[in-house]
Amino acid sequence: MKPSPLYRALCLTAWIAGGFCLLVCAGMLYEHFAAATNDPWKSPQLLALKENLADTPRNEPLQKQIRQLDLEFRQKFRHRLALDKTGAWLLLGGMLVLVLAAGKAAALQKTLPLPQPKTDAGELSVKLASRARWSLAGVGLAVAGSLLIIRLGNSSFLPANQAAWQKLLNQPGADQAPAEVAPSLAEAQANWPRFRGWDGGGVAAPGSAALSWNPTNGAGVLWRSAIPAPGHSSPVVWGGHVFISGGTADRREVFCYNASSGAMLWRRAIENVPGSPPKISDMLEDTGCAAPTMAADGRRVYAIFANGDLAALNFDGSGVWTKYLGPIKNSYGYATSLAVWGNILLIQLDQGETDTAGSKLISLQGASGQVLWERARPVPASWATPIVIEAAGKMQIITLANPWVIAYTLADGNELWRAQLLESEVVPSPVFAGGLVFLLNPGTRLLALRPDGAGDVTKTHVAWSTDENVPDIASPVSNGELVFTVTSMGIVTCFDASDGKKIWGKDLAMEVQASPAIRGGQLFILGENGALVALQAARAFQEIGRSQLPDKFLASPAFAGGHVFLRGVTNLYSLGPADAKLAQQP
Amino acid sequence: MLRRLKFIAALGVMSLLALMLSAEQRFPTPDFDNGYRLPSASTPAARQLWLQYADAGVFLAALGIAVWLIYKKRSRRGLFWLSLFSLAYFGFYRKGCICPIGSPQNIVYGLFNPDYAVPVTVLIFCFAPIVAALFAGRAFCAGVCPQGALQDFVLIKPLAVPLWLEHALSVVPYMFLGAGLIYAGTGTGFVICRYDPFVPLFRLSGSIFILTFGAAFLLAGMFVGRPYCRFLCPYGGLLRLASLASKWRVRVTPDSCTQCRLCEQSCPFGAMREPAPAGTNPDRLGAERKRLAWLLALLPALVLGGAWAGSKLGPAAAQLDPAVALAERYTRQQSFPVQYGLMTPEALSLQRASGNPAEILAAAADLRRRFDLAALLFGGWIGLVIGLKLLALSVRQSRTDFEPDRGACVACARCFTACPNERVRLGWMPAADEPAPP
Repeated sequence: MKPSPLYRALCLTAWIAGGFCLLVCAGMLYEHFAAATNDPWKSPQLLALKENLADTPRNEPLQKQIRQLDLEFRQKFRHRLALDKTGAWLLLGGMLVLVLAAGKAAALQKTLPLPQPKTDAGELSVKLASRARWSLAGVGLAVAGSLLIIRLGNSSFLPANQAAWQKLLNQPGADQAPAEVAPSLAEAQANWPRFRGWDGGGVAAPGSAALSWNPTNGAGVLWRSAIPAPGHSSPVVWGGHVFISGGTADRREVFCYNASSGAMLWRRAIENVPGSPPKISDMLEDTGCAAPTMAADGRRVYAIFANGDLAALNFDGSGVWTKYLGPIKNSYGYATSLAVWGNILLIQLDQGETDTAGSKLISLQGASGQVLWERARPVPASWATPIVIEAAGKMQIITLANPWVIAYTLADGNELWRAQLLESEVVPSPVFAGGLVFLLNPGTRLLALRPDGAGDVTKTHVAWSTDENVPDIASPVSNGELVFTVTSMGIVTCFDASDGKKIWGKDLAMEVQASPAIRGGQLFILGENGALVALQAARAFQEIGRSQLPDKFLASPAFAGGHVFLRGVTNLYSLGPADAKLAQQP
Repeated sequence: MLRRLKFIAALGVMSLLALMLSAEQRFPTPDFDNGYRLPSASTPAARQLWLQYADAGVFLAALGIAVWLIYKKRSRRGLFWLSLFSLAYFGFYRKGCICPIGSPQNIVYGLFNPDYAVPVTVLIFCFAPIVAALFAGRAFCAGVCPQGALQDFVLIKPLAVPLWLEHALSVVPYMFLGAGLIYAGTGTGFVICRYDPFVPLFRLSGSIFILTFGAAFLLAGMFVGRPYCRFLCPYGGLLRLASLASKWRVRVTPDSCTQCRLCEQSCPFGAMREPAPAGTNPDRLGAERKRLAWLLALLPALVLGGAWAGSKLGPAAAQLDPAVALAERYTRQQSFPVQYGLMTPEALSLQRASGNPAEILAAAADLRRRFDLAALLFGGWIGLVIGLKLLALSVRQSRTDFEPDRGACVACARCFTACPNERVRLGWMPAADEPAPP
């Protein structure tokens, strides 16, 4: 029989709709596969450019090229999304027509049923039930077999029964991170784990190896290594590793050098920190993003940047954890260094100008980054680094910020005492020696405070104070008997630690931003112009030696393993004897 | 010709779904910025309460109209338009959520997790179709379910599934229901929703697995009537049970059956049951009674055996839970450390676990305890379902006329107009042409 015109029309419609669908499909597939070559995750062109940028991070033309390529990819991607959406709706429409036409055509061609009566319905139903039971048994077996395969294919490291669970949950250490032996005090003292040494006092521990550099004979540079990224953080040293941080608004990095040879062991970009914007939009060039000094605990090294990125890395450069603590509201840029005690990391995160709501002191478990405690602080932005001391039978954290000196317990962060002694922008950090905390009210007073009070000790625990030659940037240093300060103009002053009386003062005729340090009875002062001056840390002024380095220095020196490590603006230095052969690293 | 058209249709569906995958691709975050701060991730706000109640109102109205169309109007055309409306509203507009199919999971989750209060609208969506089924059969499936409507729409040339296979596969929805309720009760997730093959079509996005799954069902649905409803839908299983006890039942004809078998031919879902003689062959009576006795004795054995087998599945079933999976990765890392890249999901999850392993392990222990019990119950449930179905298949049912199976019938009304009596009643056919009753 000849098909009806309607049937033919329906078939034609279905064919056209089918062809339309295929065309749309082909177009979308072409777009899909063509887009794969522009996948910005995999584009060899873009990856190569980014690799080049890592080597020359300030290459502006290269950055422009990457931006342009990135923009092109994004535009193509948006275009493809729009095409996909349009294509999906077109396909849906085509499919609708196709199904309607094909269904109608099928209905037209349908032959009318002509069922015949069944005579053996009873027999058939018995057979049907029998077959259904067997097939049901087959379904049951198939399900059982599938579950058996799942069971056999499952391997678990978790306990198999409740008794084993109890054992696991009750075993020592199950209620905390895997036990980790914190570094001993001796270990910390043998290294330079944070800003100004093991306790932040700027005094190298006694019994250290003899200095490879003899200041009386002039300095030689044992090695010098280029610093790939700008930053003002001072070196920290642990077990033959020297760590510094650096970076720009686009990229923050940690660099690790071999303490003996100066060779760069690794560099690690701190990126993709959850919640952290990729670029710092309001970074001040003078401060930069890497002003805070890092900290190390012998197991890991920690770095914080001005934007609030905080990272813990293993000594091989592999990542342990990261956190984003920002944005940090600080008009000059965040510069407070990290403090570490044992394997506890301390962060003084003061911020704001009049609104102090965001200021806080945070204690973290170094291994995991888990917050042990956090305390809000009633202070605006500050730049001083906290220290940990043992006084009055307690481990105390001493913090400085306008207007309060506040002491907290290390264990739980509870406030012990506070004193209203500070003004303005607090930069110098406190030190603890001979039972007293020495601190600077910048440019105004040097104060000595007894750290054994409770509550407000402003009027009761100031042992003495003086207003002579008070620095505004460099922190003081003390050997317990004497206190030394250095102003930005290079005036060194020696005070008696017991009563604050000035013993001597001397103008070194150089600008100074680095904090002074004491090692083996010698006071080291590093000038911005590269002059490293060694004085006797004694009641009488005596210059032991002076060396000149070809760089600009803002960071404070580090002493470890018998070496001095200095961070210049362009190079990292380790000093040696005057006749030492220069080992220059690229 | 028609075969080629079907091929094209199938190709079109597959391509459509394949291309939807591209919508899943995401672009990397910018390497450079112009000061723009990426907004932090946030959860979309819940639908306004009055709109939720409006949805429930539309749902109840659609359900009522479906019952009216089935029993009062006996209108296939009306049901067709109603199901198209449901497909548009509950499918493409509401994007398949909320829907009754997944709602039992909310109820069970609420029962085992006191922090979660089951919303009233969820209760309405869950229980209204069941209550309707207790009175009027599967009216929800007939005209309100968007999933069913979609499958009905693509059905071009239905092929008959052998009844023995239909019976055997009819237990699968109950197994899926059991699995879905277990994972909901333990708080792992709503697997019935996650593996719904049609919701990604309503949303025009989904994972490759589930889109392929949906495409396969649509492709099969061109030749097999409502494959998802019949062989997988867990809510359909509940409605099937409720319909067995329904007060009213769908009848092919309100008059006497002529046993012309035209209704059997018209049902694309294999729900029509032919007349079965009341008596039985005396020769088989003994064997049938013996089989029934054996199966009755087998029922507790199947339940206990299933429970025992299920009890061995607890650890494997628990692996799907994110908390257990994290504890597993953590303990595995203690024995076989793996160096993951910085900031990879694995490294981040391990970092989270190592921050407080006791909490992670305690949560995993609690979940494993729950899963041990849940898997035992699941195994017993499977044994019970198979045992009861075996019993049902061994009990002879007598029918004098062709009539829809109460549980299997989705009340689509196709058989109504296939019946000569109905056609005469509607005036579509002269009474003289009506076949004589046998």
